[in-house]
Amino acid sequence: MTAHAPAVDVHHGEHHGPPPAHQSSRVSAPVLGMFLFIASEVMLFGSFFTAYFFVRVVNPDAPGWPPEGFHVPVFVAGVNTAILVTSSFTMHWALQSIKRGNRAGLQAGLVLTLAMGLTFLLTQMLEYARVGFAPRDTAFGSVFYGLTGLHGAHVFVGLTLLTVATVRAFRGHFSPEHHHGVEIPGIYWHFVDVMWIVVYATIYLL
Amino acid sequence: MSTTIEQQHDLHATPAPRPRGTRARLLAPGWLRALWMTPLFLGIGLALVLGIRALAGWDPIWYWQPVLTVAFLTTAPLGFLAGIGCFDYWARYAVGTPTQPEDHSGHGAHSWRDYFRVNTDHKVIGTQYVVTTIFFLLAGGLLAMFVRAELARPGTQFFDPQAYNSLFSVHASLMIFLFIIPAFAGLANFVIPLMLGAPDMAFPRLNALSFWMLPIGGVIMLSSLIVGGFGAGWTGYAPLSTRGDPGSLFFQMGVQWAGASSIATALNFLVTIITMRAPGMTFWRMPLLVWANFTTSLLVVVATPFIAGSQFFAMFDRVLGTDFFTPDQGGYVLAYQHIFWFYSHPAVYIMMLPGFGIASEVISVMARKPIFGYRLMALSLMAILFLGFSVWAHHMFVSGMAGYLRVPMMITTLLIAVPTGIKVFSWLATLWEGKLHFTTPMLFALGFVSMFVIGGLSGIFLGALPIVIHTSDTYFVVAHIHYVLFGGSLFTIFAGIYYWFPKMTGRMYDERMGKLHFWLTFVGFNATFFPMHIIGVQGMQRRIADYAPEFANWNFFISVASFALGASTLIFLYNMITSWARGPRAEANPWRALTLEWQVSSPPPVFNFDEIPQVVGNPYEYGVPGARHAVLNGDRAAVEEEVRVH
Repeated sequence: MTAHAPAVDVHHGEHHGPPPAHQSSRVSAPVLGMFLFIASEVMLFGSFFTAYFFVRVVNPDAPGWPPEGFHVPVFVAGVNTAILVTSSFTMHWALQSIKRGNRAGLQAGLVLTLAMGLTFLLTQMLEYARVGFAPRDTAFGSVFYGLTGLHGAHVFVGLTLLTVATVRAFRGHFSPEHHHGVEIPGIYWHFVDVMWIVVYATIYLL
Repeated sequence: MSTTIEQQHDLHATPAPRPRGTRARLLAPGWLRALWMTPLFLGIGLALVLGIRALAGWDPIWYWQPVLTVAFLTTAPLGFLAGIGCFDYWARYAVGTPTQPEDHSGHGAHSWRDYFRVNTDHKVIGTQYVVTTIFFLLAGGLLAMFVRAELARPGTQFFDPQAYNSLFSVHASLMIFLFIIPAFAGLANFVIPLMLGAPDMAFPRLNALSFWMLPIGGVIMLSSLIVGGFGAGWTGYAPLSTRGDPGSLFFQMGVQWAGASSIATALNFLVTIITMRAPGMTFWRMPLLVWANFTTSLLVVVATPFIAGSQFFAMFDRVLGTDFFTPDQGGYVLAYQHIFWFYSHPAVYIMMLPGFGIASEVISVMARKPIFGYRLMALSLMAILFLGFSVWAHHMFVSGMAGYLRVPMMITTLLIAVPTGIKVFSWLATLWEGKLHFTTPMLFALGFVSMFVIGGLSGIFLGALPIVIHTSDTYFVVAHIHYVLFGGSLFTIFAGIYYWFPKMTGRMYDERMGKLHFWLTFVGFNATFFPMHIIGVQGMQRRIADYAPEFANWNFFISVASFALGASTLIFLYNMITSWARGPRAEANPWRALTLEWQVSSPPPVFNFDEIPQVVGNPYEYGVPGARHAVLNGDRAAVEEEVRVH
């Protein structure tokens, strides 16, 4: 999801490019595109929550949640939640910094966000290794791994986008006027964060 | 296929210089690079699966299901996309090197070879889409011919029941995911930016990526036939699809590729329509095709993730051994059908609403009258969108789902007839006392309206509980789906292809052959599918390779008619190919239409417009003296005149 370069052709003086498109909305195209993509992602999570709903609520023979003999680490995941929520704030800081032209703040904010996101992902992987059941162990296991795994995949995508933004931030890109490359991964990161709160609440707490 | 940019007067872009030297050629985006990157990524996928299995100590290390899913159906196609050049810009952006500013060398097609390259021009992509989807129409149609050959006589002639199941499953999957949905996307891709007065789509590179993901999905579904196909139907119900033949995996992954392509295109349409309309082009001045694709795109963005989800679960159940649909492990089998139909019912509107748009364009232009009830036409599209999400369980009336869902779903299903009826009556009112021009697109549009009404009426039968319990899973359903998808969607696609053929190729098709194609299709279609109502009500079950001897005569008749129907497609093909190559040059506006795509040359200039047009009125004011939809090429005096008059 990158900002489409304004269609002004400077390299081929003899040819002219397309006429600049008329901007018929106040929302910029890349931001709107990211919001629509997130709407689509919300529905993908929605389908996984539907599976959760059928397995846990609709199914007349549903055992407890978690079923007997299964244990989910509520506390560790809670700490992990705190880490991810904090990373949203550092992300916001990074964006606000570049809006004010503070490159050091941008770099620090991005690196901190990246570090916290990585911590979250590694903790999640450790949890998988130690939780004591596999995706094939009853529908509970399937839904647990399905939802947390889908979310983990989104954290991975978010981290990839953030890495790109960080690399570019250190190579001197972005300015108070042009920072779509920070803003758009940021929107995605906040979405990943909010989604985790829902996943945590439904899988671990409820 | 000699329509090239050079023949146009309005040439702005130059082709990029061809790479020289072996190394440069191997590294330049294209088929050569795809040729080595696809196996490379296949190897990476293999290493990933086998490495993880070896590290985790799982036995056996070589297990075909994850190997097939990851290496063959995921990373190898990604390698192809990378090789052909879909990711070049983003890769450069990601590592922080200066990205090459768009020099528009990728715009326009200079020869037929450019249609086989990654191209960011929405017009080239639109043509790529339409040609690709017609290929899959032929493939899917051929499979239908095989199905009818088997059914011509009772008993087993050519295919055993398992092979027969694969035939109709792959037929339906190709027709739905690789023909109808993307064919509409292709036509819209070509037309919408032009209609809006925009130079291109909002995200041209994403547009190219969406196109190239499509043939991947199609090739995956077709190659399922290598392992014997999949017999669970295009609906892929669990547990048949999670336990049975290996081909189901191809369906599950093929749908993901086609679905991703469809979501990306829809997102692109939405952003383009919202942010790139020409000045003066308010929502209430947009042509109905744009409205139709706006609502369709909303449906795609919101609903398609649900089929992705359902296929993920089915794939996980197969490959990872999860228990989403395993009853004795706490799974819930009917969840598959609920999740699947929560997408796939809106999907029938995804397959129909753009056709409504095409019909509105063609009927208004060819009847030389303003569309009747323009705003209500747009609003009824939105009504269908919202109602479409509340009817999914009418596909499950006999599935054993919760009883209390039945009556509400029946009521919402019947309610959809209201906005659809509004549209049908609006087309009839548009035709009323119009000056009708019976050109090929008009014939197909009229054929669509009449056939869709028949399909809609059988839909009311199938929506009514007392009847559907009797007719569920009979040929009555097969007749219904073909009246709405063949008589509905395919007829509008044909109408759209004929209507925009002069604009897309710069040449005129052969009108006589077009009319012959229409009449053969129309008669062949009705002879094929109308008798299915009768044998359906009499109790002939669908999706079964053999049938009771008392249906033999009707089935023989249907098979003969279907071969004639199949043959009529050859006329279409011949007409398209010869007209594209040698047809007479088309004028800019052969239909005397008002919408913007007809106000530029045929084919349109590389960048659509020299200057963004100013929209000053409604798009359908045919027969209104002095009415203008838009003012082009900086005709400021005309703009001021319009502003003064209104």
